[in-house]
Amino acid sequence: MVALLIGIAFHGTSIFFTLETTYDALIHLFFADHYANSWFEPWNYKWYTGFTVMSYPPLVHQAMAAFSFVGGLKFGLFTVALISIILFITGVYRFALLITANRTVAGYASLLAVFSSSFVETLHVFGQLPSIIGISVLMHSLPEIYLWLKTGRLKFLFTSLSLISVTVTSHHVTPIFGMVFFIFPLIGMVLMDVSREQVDSNKAITIRVFLNSFFKLFKRIVTFGIGALGIIVVCILPYWINSKNNPITQVPIPHGSRDNFMEVTSSGLVFFLIPWGILLILLPYIFYRYYSKRYLFFGFSITILTVLGTGGTTPIPRLFLGENAFNILTLDRFTLWASIMSLPLLGEFAYRFVEGDLKTLIQDKFGAIYHRLIGGILAGLFLFMTIFTMSLGYFRPSQPQQINMLPIINFLNQDQHDHWRYMTLGFGDQMAWLSAQTNAMSVDGNYHSARRLPELTTRPIERLENSKFKGVEGIGSLQQFLTTPEKYNFKYIFSNDKFYDPILYFCGWQRLRQLENGIQVWEKLNVPPVSSILPKDDVATWQKIVWGIMPFLTVLIAFILNVQMLWVIALKSKSKKEPEFFNFKSSYVQFPKPVLKITHIWTVVLAVIMGYGIYLFYIKNESHHSPENAVMAYYDALDFKRFETAHSLINPKSNLSISQYMLEISVTDGLLSSYAKLDAIEIIVISQSDSLATVKVHTNWITPLEKISKTDYKSLLKWNGKWYIQPDAIDLDLPPDQLYSDNVTKYFNQGRRRITTEQTHHEDILKQPVLEILSAKLVRYNDSYALIGEVQNIDNVPADVVLKGTLYNDDNKELATYNAKYHVKHKLMPKEVSSFKINFEGIAWSKTQDSIPKTFNPDEFTPVEFEEQPTKFNLQVAGNVSGSDLYKGATLSHLEISKDMIKGKLFNSGLEEITISQLIVTYYDKNKTMLWVDHQFIPEGIRQQRQQSFEYPVLKDDTILVINDDMKNCFVNGLPNAPISDKIVPNRIINQTHPVLQPINNPNFSFIKIEINTYIGNPN
Amino acid sequence: MKLKFTYLLFLGLLSMIFIDEGTNEFIFITKETQFEAGKDMELQFSSNNEEKPNLYISNSYGSSIIKPTLKSGILNYKIPNAISKKTGVIYWKLLNNAAVLSGEIFIHPKLEVATMETYLGPPSIEVGGTDYAMLVVIPTDSYDNPLPDSTKVTVKHQFLENQSEDIVLMKNRISYKNIYSENKTGRILIASECLDTDSKEYTVNVMPAIPTNFTISYQQNHHYADGNQITTFSTSIIKDRYGNIVSDGTYVEFFIANASHNILKTSGTTINGIATAKMIHPDHEDYWRVKAFVEGMAESNEISLVYKKVISDFEVAFSEDNRKITVGPLKSFMNQMIPDGLEISISVYENNKELKTLYKSSYGGFATFKLNTNDLPNSTYSFKIKVAGIEKTYSKIKL
Repeated sequence: MVALLIGIAFHGTSIFFTLETTYDALIHLFFADHYANSWFEPWNYKWYTGFTVMSYPPLVHQAMAAFSFVGGLKFGLFTVALISIILFITGVYRFALLITANRTVAGYASLLAVFSSSFVETLHVFGQLPSIIGISVLMHSLPEIYLWLKTGRLKFLFTSLSLISVTVTSHHVTPIFGMVFFIFPLIGMVLMDVSREQVDSNKAITIRVFLNSFFKLFKRIVTFGIGALGIIVVCILPYWINSKNNPITQVPIPHGSRDNFMEVTSSGLVFFLIPWGILLILLPYIFYRYYSKRYLFFGFSITILTVLGTGGTTPIPRLFLGENAFNILTLDRFTLWASIMSLPLLGEFAYRFVEGDLKTLIQDKFGAIYHRLIGGILAGLFLFMTIFTMSLGYFRPSQPQQINMLPIINFLNQDQHDHWRYMTLGFGDQMAWLSAQTNAMSVDGNYHSARRLPELTTRPIERLENSKFKGVEGIGSLQQFLTTPEKYNFKYIFSNDKFYDPILYFCGWQRLRQLENGIQVWEKLNVPPVSSILPKDDVATWQKIVWGIMPFLTVLIAFILNVQMLWVIALKSKSKKEPEFFNFKSSYVQFPKPVLKITHIWTVVLAVIMGYGIYLFYIKNESHHSPENAVMAYYDALDFKRFETAHSLINPKSNLSISQYMLEISVTDGLLSSYAKLDAIEIIVISQSDSLATVKVHTNWITPLEKISKTDYKSLLKWNGKWYIQPDAIDLDLPPDQLYSDNVTKYFNQGRRRITTEQTHHEDILKQPVLEILSAKLVRYNDSYALIGEVQNIDNVPADVVLKGTLYNDDNKELATYNAKYHVKHKLMPKEVSSFKINFEGIAWSKTQDSIPKTFNPDEFTPVEFEEQPTKFNLQVAGNVSGSDLYKGATLSHLEISKDMIKGKLFNSGLEEITISQLIVTYYDKNKTMLWVDHQFIPEGIRQQRQQSFEYPVLKDDTILVINDDMKNCFVNGLPNAPISDKIVPNRIINQTHPVLQPINNPNFSFIKIEINTYIGNPN
Repeated sequence: MKLKFTYLLFLGLLSMIFIDEGTNEFIFITKETQFEAGKDMELQFSSNNEEKPNLYISNSYGSSIIKPTLKSGILNYKIPNAISKKTGVIYWKLLNNAAVLSGEIFIHPKLEVATMETYLGPPSIEVGGTDYAMLVVIPTDSYDNPLPDSTKVTVKHQFLENQSEDIVLMKNRISYKNIYSENKTGRILIASECLDTDSKEYTVNVMPAIPTNFTISYQQNHHYADGNQITTFSTSIIKDRYGNIVSDGTYVEFFIANASHNILKTSGTTINGIATAKMIHPDHEDYWRVKAFVEGMAESNEISLVYKKVISDFEVAFSEDNRKITVGPLKSFMNQMIPDGLEISISVYENNKELKTLYKSSYGGFATFKLNTNDLPNSTYSFKIKVAGIEKTYSKIKL
């Protein structure tokens, strides 16, 4: 009772602060929202272009949904969380009672369970409510199973099966593995007890006696086994049918629990150290107790669980589970179960330590003070683990700051914005909360087992949302969605992370505005709205009914069957005959001395290992220890924008003040300084003397656009026994003007002139700007095919350009279709020309699952595999009026051409600071025939009236073949290109700028044209 | 619905079979066959018995069955409003099993205009008299019926000084007029009128045609190649072939061919026909030929610029065992120190092989290079120092 009160008070208050920031809670909330809106319809359109909620057992979600009718979704969430806490604590009590047959010990166990770090972590860090409810109800069922097996009274069969059914409907994995790891040992224990009754002492139990009792109880075991199996199958039958129909054929998603905990220490902490917590010290005791004869099978079970929980640290889990299961299961749950299984013994230990035989033993041997000291340390450690776990989310935020969703929801509700799909970037699991609150649909989702699009299932990313953490694979699939958004009716992006801004810009998206909560909205033009009728995978009505009714039915039945028991146990109101397992009390009189000794030794070993770990950690992180450490720490600080730390590594004698340093950092913008994530760093000491060192630093940076490798040379010097870095020289260039002016044409599109919810009146619809395709041809470049050409805005208004190419073979069979990605200026002023190239990307790595390149470059792509030779093409260009991103201030101010390198400088003549500039380089042969379009990003930003140098390596050794340059099938805004061109530019001066192409000295190409496209990160 | 009709029909037929046994005669007595939309409408038949056959009616919107009221030997069929308010033909048929009595009546629109349904597009056209916007006016009565053909619709439009009215007749239930652009840009305001009802105002923008050739000029503070001033290029006012200033934002690209035959580029967009583009001065003596294009449509004359060198010579000092190289003072055309930021490069050669090139920007007229023992161990090197296009070589320098 005390445990229950403390538990509710402690967790009840803290969940309000932690639960919403956990990994899973908001996902469950989203599912709950689904049930609240359509209880019997399992199809959900909001994520992944539609998925079925039959892919997750429904009880917890439906319970939340039911409570949400009373007080809203979050009320439902917290109510269910509280119920789960109650169930867990009472569950531990009953489980401990079953194991130890001692109410005091069980009381201790349940009290400690409240604060056990594994439970705290599961609830407050992971938010896995179904899992908790599943295991809690399973624990409730264990005494019933024991009693059924022992007494054979049908009442207990029904109660146990009813509880199992509740477990199944709340979490499917728990009963399956629970059978193996909890129920099998329990059966073993029953058999032991039965055997014990037949003989005089524990020692007398032989295999023969054991087998005898096994055959005696065989019928009951089988009855229970079949019953349980039947319930597992029947209760969530639609789930199994769905799993069979949509098997998980996905590339496994890396999970921290499968890491080698020695190598990835953060995973070791989260998935091993924290869940075990204080139990780690007591491991010898736990093993000692569980390997005593009565609990032998629990001993086996906990051993397997412990080993499986170690993930990739040892090869055993992989061998034991097999490659496939190893990659699908998250192994942290084994550790969770192991720690829960240890809870009764923890209670027992505590009992013996506080008031039992252990206390006497220690006091006799070491004295009372030592006992108190140890007790204090243990209790202190225990509480420390609990508090540390609770606040883990605070120290290492797993989630971005809580986002106020209201402005986003309002935005989606306005102006029919929910007629398109949207995506969030950098929201973390809060995207689920957004989805729960809006009717708009997302291309992304947060439940990876339900992913359906091949673009998602073929790669190990959970969601596009956080693709930057999945490195290059993540960005790789994100950019495919960004390039061809019309395929998914995908128009809006809510970005909470400016990391993605450049890729959005260069894929042709434009900024709309910043919402009140700081979320940047991006939109893509020329995307049709979602059609009003969407496809779905329908299931039979009986499945829907089973799915909708069964979970609550199981709860109802379980409640009716067990309510009496619960009253008895919770309130002890009525003295009742003690259950059977009370006949097998352990005696706590003589604590075995060797166990105490081993525990001591084990503690020392643990402490040494921990100490050594901390020492290694210190050496690795003491930044002035060696030149390598200094450079490493410097780059690390720069990567995380901890400029003060970075400055502390700069040579203090160089007279570079922190304010000067910050100032110098603050004036550098660009892909590298604002949008890059350090991926790998290699430090080579070129030369080192006592006080001087030169190191070569190879760094790989992941940026949203491409992978950047850089080699820097750093000089270091030793001063006062510490290594420092010499600061780099800064750009001393002074711009010509202090204050200057520039006139620019700006545009504003009113959109709908009257405030109305009706569709835009036809008078307010702007004419699509007329574009002209000046040239277009299908070329083969090495082994891949591309469409290249030039497009001009021949209208009088600026245009956003969307280019879509389709390839056909000789029989006019469509082979591939794709949009222009980076190789075009997506925004064109009136009469401006842009070269373009359309690469035909396949769904990356769909064929070669195993050969996902380890070092993928976001800029690379998987060319689509053609079964037949493409020979013809169709090019559709669509223009839409756009007034944004029209900065044309970059000029080419210097060029030096050598055989294989073009060096030059860009000059920013305008009023905005250029964040990233892109060179679009068009290659021509000696007849000035266009052959190829290439591009390069310049990662450094260019401030106003300053120059930035670039080096562009000229292409060589490539075979380029023009396959088709027939422009018959070129269309502008759906109309044929040629008549439009004839009408607006009847007397076009063909190849007018050919005399000013840049000649180059190259065997394959004779001329190039350089165009500049600029991304402004912070428009004034 | 279909089922219901069949059912009704079937019932009707049944009732006739069972009730009607004598020779019943019905005569259509309504005189009028032309009605105005929305009016109460009754079809009357004289009858010689008590039988009440249903009337089947059908127009382009659907069909219905009407029950009659019988009053002193006359059957009255009231046409429901939903059918009588729509213009067009109503076919009727009396559902008795005797001789088939059928016919048609016509409903005409009310001769009044409730709304002027108007469509105009595209919202912008090009000057020159060939491009046009089409105005479609559909005056409709209060029941949303288009007025009859040959109804007069007046289309008025105003452009600059001119205001004109044209009368178009409705044909096939619409009236339309193509409004052609003239040779000037501006805005055409369009309205229409029909039977004393006026439409609201509509607008069409007349945009300039493509640009024609133009001239360019430049403006600069001085003609020295100090790498620290900006030359501004401007076009003359760019006009189309009718003399209209091209639309704001027209993109003009300036190509600069320099003395080393490389093509530099700058660009500008027009405001009131004038595009300006900026370019930083080179930091070495140069000769530029500049020409601007609006690609495929127009081009400028070619102008040339000469940038005079500001640095004719510079000094280099070696110190600290030749490991410190000081370049400068770098003086500009009035012997003032060159503004900060001039690029100085030192290429280091060992045995005629280039080891590396170091870059530095000038500061206060000087640039100092410190050669690190780690990078360049003690040996003999040659240095090529380059400032503002001038090269100096120092060979066999021992470090």
